[in-house]
Amino acid sequence: MRSLVIDTSSFFMLVAVMEENQVLASYEEEIHTDMASKIVPTIELLFEKVTFSIEDIDKIFIVNGPGSFTGLRVGVTVAKTIAWALHKEVIPISSLELMATTEVTTPYIIPAIDARRGYVYAGVYDQDLNVIMGDKYLPFEELSTYLEKGTLISRDNLENSQVPKVDLSKMVTKHKNDKTVHPHALVPNYLKLTEAEENKAKKE
Amino acid sequence: MNDVLILGIESSCDETSVSIIKNGKEEIATVVLSQMDTHASYGGVVPEIASRMHVENITMVVEECLTKANMTMEDITAIAVTYGPGLIGSLLVGVVAASTLAYIYHKPLVPVHHIAGHIYANNLEKQMEFPLIALVVSGGHTDLIYMKDNYSFEKIGGTLDDAVGEAYDKVARVADIPYPGGPLVDKLSYEGKDVYPLPLPLDDDTYHFSFSGLKSAVINLVHNEEQRGHTVNKADLACSFQSRVVEILTKKTMRALKEYHVKHLIVAGGVAANSGLRSRLKELCKQEGVELTVPALKYCTDNAAMIATAGYFAYQLGRRSGYDLKAKATDILH
Repeated sequence: MRSLVIDTSSFFMLVAVMEENQVLASYEEEIHTDMASKIVPTIELLFEKVTFSIEDIDKIFIVNGPGSFTGLRVGVTVAKTIAWALHKEVIPISSLELMATTEVTTPYIIPAIDARRGYVYAGVYDQDLNVIMGDKYLPFEELSTYLEKGTLISRDNLENSQVPKVDLSKMVTKHKNDKTVHPHALVPNYLKLTEAEENKAKKE
Repeated sequence: MNDVLILGIESSCDETSVSIIKNGKEEIATVVLSQMDTHASYGGVVPEIASRMHVENITMVVEECLTKANMTMEDITAIAVTYGPGLIGSLLVGVVAASTLAYIYHKPLVPVHHIAGHIYANNLEKQMEFPLIALVVSGGHTDLIYMKDNYSFEKIGGTLDDAVGEAYDKVARVADIPYPGGPLVDKLSYEGKDVYPLPLPLDDDTYHFSFSGLKSAVINLVHNEEQRGHTVNKADLACSFQSRVVEILTKKTMRALKEYHVKHLIVAGGVAANSGLRSRLKELCKQEGVELTVPALKYCTDNAAMIATAGYFAYQLGRRSGYDLKAKATDILH
């Protein structure tokens, strides 16, 4: 099984071409602006480094959220366009779960993304990526009960957090047989309504 | 000569649209998915919601357009996409989808300026003949442009503050006329009389426009009437406002045609759909022996047919982009 992995959910762009659970070529870069103009050239570059072309992949693993709204749209648009054009299977992956592939010594792993104003997008996983608490948008302090037994993983300098070291092999092994999503139906998992929608809901 | 088929993608605001145009003039198929109903409930376009809806719909709209055209991507010569100006989050979806398609299918990628699209919408009506003057009137633009040839845009005047479409929307809001304000003000104006003494804005010998003074005059009028315990007659207000707008737009446009010795006028942008403006220009152009082209109503609002049409001429001029095409919220028409 050959696959393309795309993660544009944070300022840390990750694109990889894999065969089974081996990374054949990958590209990682911290990009704070213009990820949109980097993504397609990066994919093109990666397929120049491997012996097969993008037409030969079987699956696309797309990290569809939570995370930067713009980043998610960039990645999801690329993934659904490739999947639609080349009739490829596409499997959405949680950005938090991918962060939770980081090796730690505690029983729990708590990946978190700073959502500002004291809130985070976070989930709680165990070492086999079983979900202890599903991904959600919540006040940071509500994580405290899990923090005693877990390691906080984040790219956003949250207090006492550790930077993720993603293990793509672990992710692919777990999700390779997941149900696929039709390309048209693939959307970002923002975990949060827009402000306009929230304000409207409050009024109603 | 082989036919050139351009697939155009437009997502700069609240319409997801894809179109296939043959040789820059013949429409093969166009799909426009408007989000207007969604945004109407918020009283205007919400950028984040617009971006989200573009992502949901983009591949579906591409597929629907190809199906409608009974074509596959292999039949397409090049892909044209609006790179700007517009809402950045919305633009990104179209630009990324277009770059991806160009990469996958090994097609040339042609960047198109949104306003070039509005201008070239006229070529779907009638082949554009140069030199010409283009009056660009929309929610973001009020420009007079002299074109001596394809893709030669010499701006001779523009708005110093609000765009004309923006002024329509603001006036509609003040007068409590629902969203989208522009078309409704236009419609209402026929039911009213030009009785309110609103000023003719920036009536000078430049080709510039200014609508903030006129807008303020409307706001003051509404407030003053309210303080006197009266309510403004919406139809009369719409008529008075539209009369001033149409008068100043047509006055400066007709003068530009004369001074530049140009016999062709084209109108572009969302406000080109305004019936008051269309009929007055028709009258004046007939008087002056100027040939007037106005896009069909469906090509006045945002659509990808105009992008594919402008894309055809850009393609013929050798304009190309790499897969690293950047979306731009603002950019000079060039």
